[in-house]
This record gives sequence, C-alpha cells and structure tokens, in this order.
Amino acid sequence: MSAPDHSPHATPDAASGTGARVPPAPRGLRQTMSDLHIWTGLLLGWFLFAMFLTGTVSYFKEELSQWMRPEIAHQADQPEAAVVAGRIAKTLETVAPGTTQWSLRLPDERHPIANAFWRVPPKDGAKRAFKDANFDPQTGLKVAARETPGGEFFYRFHFQFHYMPVAWGRWLAGLAAMFMLVAIVSGVITHKKIFTDFFTFRWGKGQRSWLDAHNALSVFGLPFHLMITYTGLVTLMTLYMPWPEMAGIESPAMKRQLTSEMNAFLQPAKPSGEAAPLASIEAMVREAERRWGPGSVARVTAANPGDAAARVAIARGEGGRLSMSPQYLLFDGVSGRVVEEKQGVGAAAETRGVMYGLHLGRFGDGATRWLYFLVSLAGTAMVGTGLVMWTVKRRQKLADPERPHLGFRIVERLNIAAIAGLPLAMAAMLWANRLLPLDLARRGEWEIHVVFIVWALALAHGVLRPPRRAWIELFALGAAALALLPVLNALTTDRPLWRSLAQGDWAFAGVELVGLAFAALLAGLARRVARHRLKGARPGRARAIGTPARPAADTAAAVEGAR
Amino acid sequence: MTHFASLLICVGAFAALAMATERAQQDVLERTLSRDATRALRIIGWALLLASLAIVVGAQGWGLGLVSYSGHTSVAAGLVFLGLIARQRRKG
Repeated sequence: MSAPDHSPHATPDAASGTGARVPPAPRGLRQTMSDLHIWTGLLLGWFLFAMFLTGTVSYFKEELSQWMRPEIAHQADQPEAAVVAGRIAKTLETVAPGTTQWSLRLPDERHPIANAFWRVPPKDGAKRAFKDANFDPQTGLKVAARETPGGEFFYRFHFQFHYMPVAWGRWLAGLAAMFMLVAIVSGVITHKKIFTDFFTFRWGKGQRSWLDAHNALSVFGLPFHLMITYTGLVTLMTLYMPWPEMAGIESPAMKRQLTSEMNAFLQPAKPSGEAAPLASIEAMVREAERRWGPGSVARVTAANPGDAAARVAIARGEGGRLSMSPQYLLFDGVSGRVVEEKQGVGAAAETRGVMYGLHLGRFGDGATRWLYFLVSLAGTAMVGTGLVMWTVKRRQKLADPERPHLGFRIVERLNIAAIAGLPLAMAAMLWANRLLPLDLARRGEWEIHVVFIVWALALAHGVLRPPRRAWIELFALGAAALALLPVLNALTTDRPLWRSLAQGDWAFAGVELVGLAFAALLAGLARRVARHRLKGARPGRARAIGTPARPAADTAAAVEGAR
Repeated sequence: MTHFASLLICVGAFAALAMATERAQQDVLERTLSRDATRALRIIGWALLLASLAIVVGAQGWGLGLVSYSGHTSVAAGLVFLGLIARQRRKG
C-alpha cells in the first residue's frame, strides 16, 4: 500500500540525539515493511494477478460450463433429485457394466445436468482407469456435448496452473499465496492512515492517484483478501505440510479414517464375487433428503454395485452450510439399510472444512456469490494497480526515460502481458469453444492450448510494440473479443442472447452480459491510456512531428495522470 | 432482501462516515462542519454499521451472516468511494 519515499517514521531513534557524529538513520519499521511489501508484491505479482483473475471468474464456473456446452438445453425446472438418481443408476447398469465403482453428481440449479464417472474394469484394456459421461435428468440417458473443460479450467488453473506437474503448480500457488499474505500484512503496517485516508482519492495526481486507488481496493476488501489468501493456503495444507500426517498416520486403517474426515469419496472394498441386485437408489436419496431437507443431496457413490458387498454413499451438498466437511449416509447396497451416518467431523477437521468452504463460497445464494465475485475482482485490481505502481514510481527517477534499465523494461512488459494479455487469452478460450471443429481430436485440450497461444502472442506483442501502444491494443482487442461474444454465439448456436433472456436462462445470458461489462471495462482502460497520450502530446506538437514519437510514456504513466 | 437492506444501510453508514472527514466535507459542502456535527455523523455511521450487522446475523446466523456482512461493507464502501469521486469530478 502506501510506500512513502521519505518515511517520517524513519527518523533516527536512539543514536542520533547524542551530539556525536550522526550515523546514517536506521530504517524505521514502516520503511522496512514498505520495502517488504513492494518486493513480495512484485516478485510473484504476475502469478497472483493470474490466480486472482481466474479465481474470480471461477465463482461462476458452473455458469461458464453451461455456456461452453450449448448442446445441453436450458432446464427450466428440475425433476426430483431422488427420481433422477434412480433413473441414472439404472442407466449406469448398462453404460458401466461390471464397474467396481461409480459416482454420480446430481444436477442442481446452477448445474442442470447430471454427470457420472466410473472405474473401468482393467480387462477393458483402456488406458484411463476412469470414464465419465453427462446424463439428462429428464430421461436418465447419456447426452453428448462438445468436449470442453468448461469453467473448470479457470478453477484448476487458479491453483495449479498448466503444462506442469500438478504438484509443482500447487507448490507455486502456495508460494505465491505466502507472498500475498506477507504483502497484505506488510501493506497494512505500511499504510499509515487507514482510517483518515479511508475515502481519499486524489484525481489526476499521478503516483498519488495510483496509491489512493490501490489503497481503496485493498482496504475495502481487506477482510476478504486476508480470508481468501489464508484459506487458500488451508485448502492445500496437507500438500504443503505433510509431516504431521506422516508422523501420525501409521496404518492403512488410520489413513482411511483421515480420508473420511476430509471427503466423502468411497473407496471400494473387495467385492464378494456373489451377484446381488442393487437396492433402490431413489429410496436412499429420499431417506437422505428426509434428514437434510429437499435438494440437499449432491452426490451418490456406489462401490461394487451388483455385488453382495455393495455400498452406497449419499453425500450432502454444500448449499446452506459453511463447512466443506463431508456429511454422508452410507447404505448397504443390497438391503438398502443405513449402515453408517457421518454427521460431523472432529474440531480440527471442521475448522479446515469451514475455511475450505469460505474459500470456495459455494454455500451462498446468488447474492453472496456476486459479493464474492465483486470483492475478488477488487482484489485482482489491487494486485494490478500494485504492479503498475512499481513502474509509475520508478519512471520519474529514470535517468533516461527513453531507455529504461532492463529490470524496469521486464516489469513493464510482464505487466502488459499479465494485466492486458490475460483477459484477452481468457476470452480467446470462449472463442475457441465455439470455433474449434467439434470432431477435433483432443478438442478440450486444444481449447486450453488456445488460451496459452494467445497469451504468448500477447506477451510477444507487449515486448515488440512500444508499451503505450501495446496497452491500448491489447485492452482494445480484449474488449472486442468480449463484446463480440454474443454475436459469435448467435452465429454458432441456436441460443442467441435474446432467446436466453426471453427464456430466463440467466446462466447463459449472464456469461454474455458479464462479458459485455468486462468489454466496457477494458475499452474504458484502453480509452484512458489513449487519451492521456493526447493530453501529454498537445503542448509538444512540433516535437511529435519532428522527432520520433516519444516512445512509451508508457501506460502506467498514461493512466496515471489521465483525467 | 436481507442482502439489499443490509447493503443499503451500509451505504448510508459509510456515507455518514465519509462526511465525517474534513476532505469530504470540503469536497461536497465546500465548508467544514462543526465538531459536534462531525461527531454526530461518526456516531450515526458506526451505529448504522452495527444495525446492519444485527440484521444480517439475525437473518442468516453468525456463520453465513458474517460472510455476507463482510461483502456488504466492502461493496458499500466501494460505492461511497465511487460516489465521492463522481461528485469531485462533476464539480470539475
């Protein structure tokens, strides 16, 4: 946050008053914290920006997934969960015969389609051990949709990135989150006048304005920023700190017990080899709903279905409860009787469950989700303004603004690629989703490749063009890509925006409307950068003609003084 | 409904707190308010924040309520902030 160049608090303390030769003033706490804030913020700032932005849109990942699978029709009303579960369980008998395990996610308001995955018996010779499919809740039959990762990609990317082993990505995300935590705490200490300057914004004052904006974005959302960073670390704590588990969990039985405290995934035991029909899944879901309320069941998992040793777990969803800790009913798959009821977990596991739940925000209604989205977006802007400020502050001190030193140029170009390039790359994925041929091999992976190809091109653009032009062009391109999304969709599907609106399909329409809002935001940024240039160029028109255009008064500065 | 009511009250609260600062008084009223008026605004602001908290927690319980409340305060503070900027800009 505030990073005063001459901190009044850095006045010499003990040594100076002696009258002897004054030693160089020791650096005060605030100055030290300011340096810490600046450098922890910068070093992984681009990762943090990407994590924040993709994480922000992940609050609407179900809606994005719906938009990216236009073949799956909008469901105005959902049939009863128990009926759906029963229907699809029947279908699975023929779709996945002889499987040792299937797991079915029931549809809900935000996720209108059921999907299931199941273990493929090894003799099948298939390489993957699991298969999955979508099912229509109305008919219980398999539905085909284009191959796409959907909104899930942004969600996964935001904590494990891509093109690297999952564990590396998660470690990197954890490191970035630790840096973020340090940056938040040091930022609060650095910010001298949180309360006095709470509502302060000084327009058109260059670095001062950037600082005010950065402070406002940080302070207003401070509870959220702290919570999201800390709980983000908690979600992956068993990866980051495996030692307690290694020390304390000695037997496979204890391991199983630990797993059951963390999630409701049912590991299949050894089948008996004796065939026995699966009892009514519908009745089991009804029993669970009797205890938790209607619409509360999220997932049905069957182990060894069709075997005498079958078990079925009915897991409760996340709606209306803060905690992500598992709650489930375990049924004997043949008799249909409850054999175990998991209603809660130990205090430590519950603490983790609540923190996990807070991070994901899935408990909330639509309004809560919007609050998460907006404040998280402010967090994204906080990181973005912080990154830009690093260059704004240093530009004034450059010996030769025409030829900034290498470090400055690197930061500046990476800022362009991250802040202006990523929104464009994300929009590109939505375009790829509509434009890639449906029968393309590994189509889902190609949608992701497109994101990174476009992002790499944006980086190249940012490096090759003068920075100011690069900012404007990339922002404008991103705005265009998002603004034209409804047109693209109207041309490539039979679900244009006006029809979605008429049918009250808010998930589908919402993606395009929010896209338009983002387009307006990016266009506004592009315009701001462009206008600043005009203003700066006005007094020196002759010079602009006579000499090569002043290279890159750079956006940072551009936006900085723009009126 | 709870969300809307709470958000509205929070906007009122932050507007009062903002008007309790000298800078906002100068910007909006072009004069500073008396010390008593400033203190009254500050009290009103904090009281409204507490009232909103009571409403949200009453409706949603402590767990969900605190989460919602934290969102309402953040968004409301942002709205008041934008309002002040708009006001400042319109004056030129």
